Amino acid sequence: MAGLYPLAPFLALAGGFLLAACQWLILVYAPTEATLGLPQKIFYLHLPLAWWGLFSFFLVFIASGAYLASRKRFWDVLAGAAAEIGLALAALALISGAIWAKTSWGLWWTWDARLTTTLVMCFIYAGYLVVRGMDMQPDRRARIAAVLGIVAFLDVPLVFFSARLWSYIHPPSISLEPEMKHTLVACIASFALLWLGLLLFRWRLAQDAINLEETTKERLMRRE
Amino acid sequence: MLKAALLIASKDLRLTMGRGSGLLQALLLGLLLIFVFSLSLTPGQRMSAQGAAAIFWMASAFCQVLIFSTLYGLEEINGQRQGLVLAPSPAQGVWLGKALAGLCLLVASQTLFLPATIVFLGQEISDLWRLGLAIVIIGDIGIVAIGSLLGALSQGQSARESLLSIVLFPLLAPLFLGGIRIGSAVFSGKLSEGADGWFGIALAFDAIFVASALALFPSVYNAEE
Amino acid sequence: MNSYEWILYAGIAVWSGLGLYLALLAHKQAGLSRRIKQLARLMEDER
Repeated sequence: MAGLYPLAPFLALAGGFLLAACQWLILVYAPTEATLGLPQKIFYLHLPLAWWGLFSFFLVFIASGAYLASRKRFWDVLAGAAAEIGLALAALALISGAIWAKTSWGLWWTWDARLTTTLVMCFIYAGYLVVRGMDMQPDRRARIAAVLGIVAFLDVPLVFFSARLWSYIHPPSISLEPEMKHTLVACIASFALLWLGLLLFRWRLAQDAINLEETTKERLMRRE
Repeated sequence: MLKAALLIASKDLRLTMGRGSGLLQALLLGLLLIFVFSLSLTPGQRMSAQGAAAIFWMASAFCQVLIFSTLYGLEEINGQRQGLVLAPSPAQGVWLGKALAGLCLLVASQTLFLPATIVFLGQEISDLWRLGLAIVIIGDIGIVAIGSLLGALSQGQSARESLLSIVLFPLLAPLFLGGIRIGSAVFSGKLSEGADGWFGIALAFDAIFVASALALFPSVYNAEE
Repeated sequence: MNSYEWILYAGIAVWSGLGLYLALLAHKQAGLSRRIKQLARLMEDER
């Protein structure tokens, strides 16, 4: 993995530039939606945030399972990095969603199933990161985090269905015109680069922290 | 495994009942919560059925956190946990034992919370009480399954209770929503649509977390400090 | 308030959020790299 670190700034920069270019697509190329009007354009940033956030949480689940199966530190570090990025993206998706809700319904918050699920996931993964930050034996912490990472993702569909049953308020489903679809795909794809860049950045940070800890230990042992 | 689980459960129950302080603390906290929420009403006013159901489940949730932190705290002193880990039975026996003990304590507490909700929040039990009983039983199974799995993760930690609550409460969200909806139907006598949906979600919750707890418990419970 | 302004605010919120997160990562990374270098120098001196 270490060989990929130098790619991180390029990926992030390329993703950033492409997303900036997508702003043009969003504002000029994509037509204004007939019923929802201009605010619907927030959707083009909101959806990639939510999707990549959810994908990060899925990655936490996969990496946690792989850690429990193989006990390789690689997977634990990956899960930690993905969880933090997922939390950041999901929080941004919530903020942009709230702004969108305010413009279309005049409310910052409604009991929409997807919004509620994202909020509950933010809480769950914030708790997960608190557990990861605890002072414990690294192996034990990694195992506990892996169990929590699995349990947390199993909860996601339950939260979604219960939130949907709780209230049937849905934003009207949008039929996307071809230009809208192109714009959306472009946004999601450019976000992929940014996401990968972020993941590598965060990964390198975690790996360096581990290296620092181990070298310090080594040095102390040698001095004794 | 079942025998070991029953042994552990009965040992834990006798210990908590004998000392009393653990369960008493959980009970008092729940009752205080219900009482404090009754202060949001002006005299003579009644809490809405949904509000009362939400407060009942919240009291149960706080109670659960204290119960499992007490149950897993029992073996913290003098390294007694090693004894349980070394016992010739699978680790899942410990999970099941603690879950059973927790279930008994939680149900016992709820039998006090329910009258407290009725008295302090001005509720009545309608003809739908069977539904309410069912959702309490199904919900409690899910609550203790996940409580017993994650209760073990706080072993050897300071600030156990606050750690457990921030991890557990959001995970329990689906059960709470179902419990509140059905509970509000029981208090108000009006059943809204989708009741079977709530039972489906609660049963799915139980199945998923009992299965994952059985698979994952050995990873969190061991002799390490 | 008109819709363009809201889109602008949403854009500002998302971009500044991403920017802040990146800045936080960069800050942490800089601190870590400094400590790693210090440690390497220390160990070099001890040898």
